[in-house]
Amino acid sequence: MAATPSYDTAVFMACAFSALFLPLFSFAVSLLISEKYSWLVTFTSPFLLLLSTLAAGVVLYSTWNQQPFTMTWNWFTVAGSTFAVGVFLNNISALMLLVVTLISFLVNSYSAGYMAGDPDLKRYFGMLGFFTFSMLGIVIADNLLLVFVFWELVGFSSFMLIGHWKEKSKAADAAKRAFIFNRVGDVGFLIGLMILWAHAESFNLITLSTSSEALSWKTAASLCIFCGVIGKSAQFPLFSWLPDAMEGPTPVSALIHAATMVAAGVFLLARVYFLFTPFALDFVALTGCITALLGAFAALAQNDIKKILAYSTISQLGFMVLAAGAGAPEAAMLHLVTHAFFKACLFLAAGAVIHALHQAQNQSHFPFDAQDIRHLGGLRKKLPFTFFVFIVSGSALSGLPFFSGFLSKDAILASLMVWKGTGFSWRWLIFGSAFVVSFTTVLYTFRLIWSVFQGEEKSTAHLSITEPPLSMRVPMTVLAIASLWIIVSPNPFDFSGWIYGGLRSNSEYLHISAISIASASWVLLALAFAYLIKGRTIRSSMLLNAFYVNSIYKIVVERPLFQLAEITARTDKKLIDGILHTAAYAQLIIANVAGWFDRAMIDGVVDDAAILAKGVGSFTRSFQGGKIQLYIFWAIFAVIIFIIWTLL
Amino acid sequence: MFPIAHFLYLGAFLFSAGLVIVIVKKNMIMVLLGIELMLNASNLNLVTFNQLYPDSIQGQMFALFVIIVAVSEAAVGLAIVIKVYHYYQTSVPDEINELKD
Repeated sequence: MAATPSYDTAVFMACAFSALFLPLFSFAVSLLISEKYSWLVTFTSPFLLLLSTLAAGVVLYSTWNQQPFTMTWNWFTVAGSTFAVGVFLNNISALMLLVVTLISFLVNSYSAGYMAGDPDLKRYFGMLGFFTFSMLGIVIADNLLLVFVFWELVGFSSFMLIGHWKEKSKAADAAKRAFIFNRVGDVGFLIGLMILWAHAESFNLITLSTSSEALSWKTAASLCIFCGVIGKSAQFPLFSWLPDAMEGPTPVSALIHAATMVAAGVFLLARVYFLFTPFALDFVALTGCITALLGAFAALAQNDIKKILAYSTISQLGFMVLAAGAGAPEAAMLHLVTHAFFKACLFLAAGAVIHALHQAQNQSHFPFDAQDIRHLGGLRKKLPFTFFVFIVSGSALSGLPFFSGFLSKDAILASLMVWKGTGFSWRWLIFGSAFVVSFTTVLYTFRLIWSVFQGEEKSTAHLSITEPPLSMRVPMTVLAIASLWIIVSPNPFDFSGWIYGGLRSNSEYLHISAISIASASWVLLALAFAYLIKGRTIRSSMLLNAFYVNSIYKIVVERPLFQLAEITARTDKKLIDGILHTAAYAQLIIANVAGWFDRAMIDGVVDDAAILAKGVGSFTRSFQGGKIQLYIFWAIFAVIIFIIWTLL
Repeated sequence: MFPIAHFLYLGAFLFSAGLVIVIVKKNMIMVLLGIELMLNASNLNLVTFNQLYPDSIQGQMFALFVIIVAVSEAAVGLAIVIKVYHYYQTSVPDEINELKD
């Protein structure tokens, strides 16, 4: 334990542990509360999360730019190797701690309004708490084994939450898909852990970070761990679970996209950045770039509000992974934080729209798909508050100046600028695609906001739509404020403010004014272009289906699997069952033979004995027939025999 | 003097005849008759063998006893036959089979 004297250890530890365990406590409370009082969880869970957020705030305040706080206990010892559990709080994890708890708190209080009347409030809020707890575990764990444990818990709780409306088969399928896709990545993660253990004999992050030489096993281990990141952070090619996960309740999507699920991958990438060798980093950057492009273009053609946001998340995550691959994990983390706020805000706002429409639909019995933007339009008059929130968070997503997204994107672009070097190479291509992604982001965000809030009202014209309740508006407001530039730095054009300064471990990649100017004008250009082509939709089924990745999976994975299953089924039926049938038939024959033997031989012997006894009996009985003269005859006969016997 | 063997043959013949009568004849009186015949065959033997020892008379004496016993036996036997005949209305032993079942 290496605590620094700059803060009170006891108070600090109490805060760290309450930040971690209050969400778990919320989970326990939600489970244990009586069904009759299940409405209580809509108060207890946000309250407990609020306490957790405050504790996380204290932790962040105490550790920020201080000596990292570490603490380790032995967990178990197997074959001489001791595994530990511990806490490792540095700037990155303390910042994540606050972001996760804050967003979870906001989502919890938002859910109190959004999920009102749901029959399964207990399970919903319980799993929200558990989800948050698992994510916090990843954030503060000091070794990769513990990270992996919480990593799996995150996967499990996301499965529970995506499939919350389990009676909808689509939701159940989406939950299953998210779980399976994550499993695929996690296999890689697990193999990476094994490689690490085999070579370094340690899972501890600090121990691992001390050796810095680039070795081939490090490339292998880091690429394997990156597999886990691909699954969890929805990178190419394992991204298609994320749009499907939109079947879950909207606040859950906000949580998944902002703080607790996809963020885990990028966070892990930043946490184990020291493991990555240059080759591995190039691979990471390439994956991120492909994902960013795919997500951005797929988002252009979607018609579902939540799916647009989902593909936008994929694109932004690709951006973060690209930044990490380009050697700027601090830029990735910065974007992760800002993205967490504005994407959560966007989802909550989208949820507000859906919620308001559903309420109105329930009153008027006028059915249409409330999430399909083709039915929506002109809602700015009926939902002015939601419109405003949407504008703010959408601007942050697009990267307009004076919003947080602009600064974090700037950080990424600046690091890419340095990374690509001066000579022309494939890195220029990636640098260029970053701008393409940034341009496309503006297009789809503008399209989303325009088609929902501007223009003529379509299906909603006759509905009396009201703004969502206060419990939903407050979290949206907080997140909208957090989407402004001020959380990143005091200067709206220089990202190297308070957060970035704390995350940066080296002095490279500082603010480049040219990039800021280029980025700002590029985004404004995109905005102008988006306004010009407003109302037009790209009807491309390739984009709508996200480049048919799912279909490819169907052909490459699903169909061979089914064929394999069929072959094994047939083998089972023909071969195994055949052998069994033959064996059974042989047994039948043996049984028949044995039965015959039993009847003829065993029973025969017994019967013969009986017959013999009977014969002997009736033979001897015949001497005692009550005929006196016969007695005499036999007596004489015996005497004669006796005489002959003795004389001869 | 006849050789002894002739008497013994006669005795054996008489005994066999008596035995056959005892076994074969249905009527109880005939059975008693067969018994008498056998007793007399044995008497004949006793007397015959006594001839080998001219100084002793035990053989003849024994034959006399046998005759007396035979008389008593016949008396008792006939009495039983009469009693049985009274009771069962038959003197055939095969028909008197109450002990059998």
